[in-house]
Amino acid sequence: MTDLGIGIESVETGGRGAFRMFLRNKAAVAGLVVFTFVVLVTIFGPGIYGVEAHKMAAGPFLGPGDDAGPLLGTDYLGRDILAGVITGGRTTLFVAAVAGAMAMGLGLVVGSLAGYFGGWVDALLMRFTEIFQAMPSLLFSLVLIYLLGPGTWKETLAIGITLWALPARLTRAEFLRLREMEFVKASRAIGCSDLRIMTRTILPNAMPPLLVAATLLVVIAVLFHAGLAFLGMVDINTISWGSIMGKNKGYALTAWWTVAFPGLAIVTTGLSIALIGDGLQDAFNPKLRGR
Amino acid sequence: MNTVFKRWIKIITLLAALSLFSAACGSSDSDSSSDSSSDSSSSAAASDDEPAAASDDEPEAASDDEPEAEEEEATEEEAAPQPKHGGTIVIATTQVGANVNHGVNSGIGIAQPSSKIFAALTHLDNNWEPQPYLAESWEVSDDSLTITFHLVAGATFHDGAPITSADVKFSIEVIQANHPFTGMWGPLESIDTPDDLTVVLHLATPHPALWIATSDVMMPVMPKHIMDDGTPINEMRGHPNNGAGAIGSGPFRLTEYQNTQKIVLERYEDFFIPDRPYLDTIIYVIVPDEDATMLGLESGEYDSGGYASVINAEKVSNNPDLVAIPDLLGGVGSLNHLQFNMANSIMSDLRVRQAIAYTIDRDYVINTLHQGQTIELLGGIHPSSPFYNEDVERYDVNLDKARSLLYDAGYPDGLDLRINYIPGPNEQQRNVAEYIALALGEVGIRVEVVQAADLPSWAGIFFGGPDAWHMTMNAYFNWGDPVIGVQRAYVCANIRPGVFVNNSAYCNEKVDELLYAAAAEPDVAKRKALYDEFQVITAIELPFYGINALPIFGANQLYVRNQPDGAWGPLSGFENVWLDK
Amino acid sequence: MTALARSIGIRLGQAIGLLLAVVVIVFLLVQLAPGDAALYLAGEQGVGDPEFLAKIRADYGLDQPLLVQLGTYIGNVAQLDLGESTYFGEPVLGLILDRLLATVALAGAALLFAVIIGVALGVFTARRPESPASHGVTVMSLVGFATPVFWLSLMFIVVFAAKWGVLPVGGIEDVRYEGGWFGETVDFFQHLVLPAVSLGIIYLAIYSRLARASMLEVLESDYIRTARAKGAHERVVVYKHALRNGIIPVVTAAGLQIGNLLSGALLVEFVFAWPGIGRLMITSIFRRDSPMVVGIVIFSAAMVILANLLTDFVYRLIDPRIRVGGSR
Repeated sequence: MTDLGIGIESVETGGRGAFRMFLRNKAAVAGLVVFTFVVLVTIFGPGIYGVEAHKMAAGPFLGPGDDAGPLLGTDYLGRDILAGVITGGRTTLFVAAVAGAMAMGLGLVVGSLAGYFGGWVDALLMRFTEIFQAMPSLLFSLVLIYLLGPGTWKETLAIGITLWALPARLTRAEFLRLREMEFVKASRAIGCSDLRIMTRTILPNAMPPLLVAATLLVVIAVLFHAGLAFLGMVDINTISWGSIMGKNKGYALTAWWTVAFPGLAIVTTGLSIALIGDGLQDAFNPKLRGR
Repeated sequence: MNTVFKRWIKIITLLAALSLFSAACGSSDSDSSSDSSSDSSSSAAASDDEPAAASDDEPEAASDDEPEAEEEEATEEEAAPQPKHGGTIVIATTQVGANVNHGVNSGIGIAQPSSKIFAALTHLDNNWEPQPYLAESWEVSDDSLTITFHLVAGATFHDGAPITSADVKFSIEVIQANHPFTGMWGPLESIDTPDDLTVVLHLATPHPALWIATSDVMMPVMPKHIMDDGTPINEMRGHPNNGAGAIGSGPFRLTEYQNTQKIVLERYEDFFIPDRPYLDTIIYVIVPDEDATMLGLESGEYDSGGYASVINAEKVSNNPDLVAIPDLLGGVGSLNHLQFNMANSIMSDLRVRQAIAYTIDRDYVINTLHQGQTIELLGGIHPSSPFYNEDVERYDVNLDKARSLLYDAGYPDGLDLRINYIPGPNEQQRNVAEYIALALGEVGIRVEVVQAADLPSWAGIFFGGPDAWHMTMNAYFNWGDPVIGVQRAYVCANIRPGVFVNNSAYCNEKVDELLYAAAAEPDVAKRKALYDEFQVITAIELPFYGINALPIFGANQLYVRNQPDGAWGPLSGFENVWLDK
Repeated sequence: MTALARSIGIRLGQAIGLLLAVVVIVFLLVQLAPGDAALYLAGEQGVGDPEFLAKIRADYGLDQPLLVQLGTYIGNVAQLDLGESTYFGEPVLGLILDRLLATVALAGAALLFAVIIGVALGVFTARRPESPASHGVTVMSLVGFATPVFWLSLMFIVVFAAKWGVLPVGGIEDVRYEGGWFGETVDFFQHLVLPAVSLGIIYLAIYSRLARASMLEVLESDYIRTARAKGAHERVVVYKHALRNGIIPVVTAAGLQIGNLLSGALLVEFVFAWPGIGRLMITSIFRRDSPMVVGIVIFSAAMVILANLLTDFVYRLIDPRIRVGGSR
């Protein structure tokens, strides 16, 4: 699990207790509030702010605070950076959420099969997973985009496909652990089908750490999309936080605001999601609180 | 526990040692070459013009009332200091070339080192007049069909072998067989070499562009004794003498060649002009972008830098330590225009092209996007050329007219188009393409901006059939004479799969006639009349919609003296450049 | 001991099999993807007539059946031949090795910085788990986790190089510099500082948290209690007894994160014009230099596999209880 950099431990608390624990965690609640705010802004912000992000709003390269320009300044075409930040979140969050879901989905399927059946299924699937773990994931994403070409869906695919190894290993570990539990054995004894045991009996109990992993995956997906966009590998006609930075990277030294604010938006969003994940971790596992 | 600890210590020591080791190696390791970044480097391998050069926005040097102009005058007023020998000039460039021989390939990245490593027959001064270089004198016959060059005696290549008329003949043949500018030597019929120091060119028709073709960067004199080694003449692009270890004829020798990181040239002691060059060393450093160039100029890390960007122009003019390098007076002269694919069924309709022209605000591009640092381009020839005609159809912004033209053309609900652009300097290419896409939205033309990772990917659109592209931001270089840089883009015969040929698929017999007549017209006034008419016709018919040209090439530190001011500017020999510090 | 030898053999075999699988997958991906390499090569030459395209296909073996191409490629890789770059016209492996030192120097310096400072911070805060500094490390680790490394690099350049001018903007050397080896080393380190710190800070944040958690656990363990009970000085307990064990997870994590480090280095190299493998990868992608791209992915995978293998062995040396194929 070290790939995430932040360990995800197995879980001892469940359900309502965890929710109460979560609410008691100030940092996590702050994360939740900020994240909710970010989501609301990306949904309603463009309508409220009323400036179209892709249109020229004022002269080019006006700095933040310049009387002639908008609050956060303008880019090389005179587009409003604030409008870009508000609007760009949609694409970034969409790509991150879908890519995260894609990776979780793939990981769940592979990991649960490997963990539940064990034996040669496990060996085969894990060898397959290792192939994807051996390739540095950003490098692999780059190659996929290189092959597929830019476009929001293709970008999402290129990110989702490189990140599933992580949840796969986590799911497998949980399934390995849980399948030996008494209640699973009991289900098997009364003749439940494998599919039913996997989805109805084991999965709910494996959810907590997977939920934590999902939050972290979304953060990684946000960073990946930003990285790809920064390298100029994403669609130039779509506004995202990453693409604003990517398009303006040649001007970062002269017009720092064109890169600084979209980056701040990413840090803020990523941090809020990570705080939520951290809070979930603590809530599910009070013994490790504060680690 | 103790053994574990010891092992652990070993690991740390190992890591530390490893990092020190690699650090030490890294410092002396000039081989790990960096690669220039995407938007700046476009490979110079493209066979026609140099796209890498794709134009750059140079900061404008200045109309006379600007502070920087005063600066220049001031320096001129000082008593001319005596040139000094020695020193190293570090030149930052964003342009990477596939080799260092401009005789076999084109591109700024190639032209910069090539013009120092290889001498030409002549220099071209800032009045476009040839001046002696490797040829100390020449005669032109009365019918302008025979030109006799007399070479400097005692000139040698960098390996000590004498430079003879056979080398010049061989070089012209290599250029003819390999260089993309086919118009350059078009009317050449034969070359005689009556003795070692005499070269006689026989032409089929008068060829005013000959003086461009024999000058500076266009005419690298190559060593026949090395290159004529059995390599077929038309495959000289792959000859090893174009790269590391190249033996040349110019004032500087190539001593280190890492084409994506740096190129080091050193003084050739036995150069044929006595007491030249002044400089000991020229280092071209490949930098990722124009911002890095500008920062290096400001910090003094670089002595000279090409292609500072438009937004850096003001910094150059406000910095008392820097002097703008004027653009090559049209010697290269990037022509930035929107090119239409007339082979495409939508774009072949003149009304569609006119609607687009009526929508784009040239003024906005120049004065807002480029902050007034570039100049408008109306005719098809570079504005600094004597043959430029600005008295042509302008298509001033008229949105109603644009809409009605679209309506007439059968697109009452607008239409969907794509715009491509050369991956080059963003200000000139991507930014303008994005602006055009936005502007056309106003009249109902929905435009998708298509990015390409690099020049060859962009050039691929020209091989993809009539629907592969609708319009593209393009930058044909003027390359001195319209015969070289302009004619190729308009004549019917040049409609072929290629890059920087007639990619618009524009064909007009009258235009062909005018261009061919002008190419062979020795009288300047008559020639201008022909080119004037050509520009009037093409401005109306719109194979291209002209946008702007760039007046500035880059910037120098104040102490860089005798920067060549001829037509080729920094693309000439540098044997007179010296450092006043 | 034979059991150890056998398990090492098994791990080696697995590693080689894994690398082979990577080669096959990457090769097939590149070959099956849409887009015609010949068209691109034609664009580069500026010639596009059908005969020329056919010649290109023949020259690059693009007209062979896919399996034949794959077989040839695997055979070549086995002989350490990763093919020839279409842009440079030189062997891919040589071009990669030319840039290896730069990347190793950058990644190594970043890792060293992150591990040393991260552990120090972790140990410091573990001693006072409820102090503000301790909570600060937790939050900082999350900030580090959520920060795009290229953005941090750019902001560093804006501040340290552009605004204050105290450090170089990019590159690996000052070309004008003609000092001795000492001066050149200093010059190199000046160029190394910003990229290494940018990359290192991200990992520093993560390792400090890891070190803190691990130290907390160790400090609560029985043998530490025993040491304290015996009246050992707290400083001795922490730095002599606890640190040795507390640091193991950090070292392991560092070893297993080589892949991530390379991903990060890719972006940092791009921003700082650092002439390493990552930059080569990006420019090769821009040039659609497929042999180069495939070669770099395979080479990186080999580095990751090797790093994991080494970490595994090192770990095994430290803690002999670990079995081959342990799931976690």
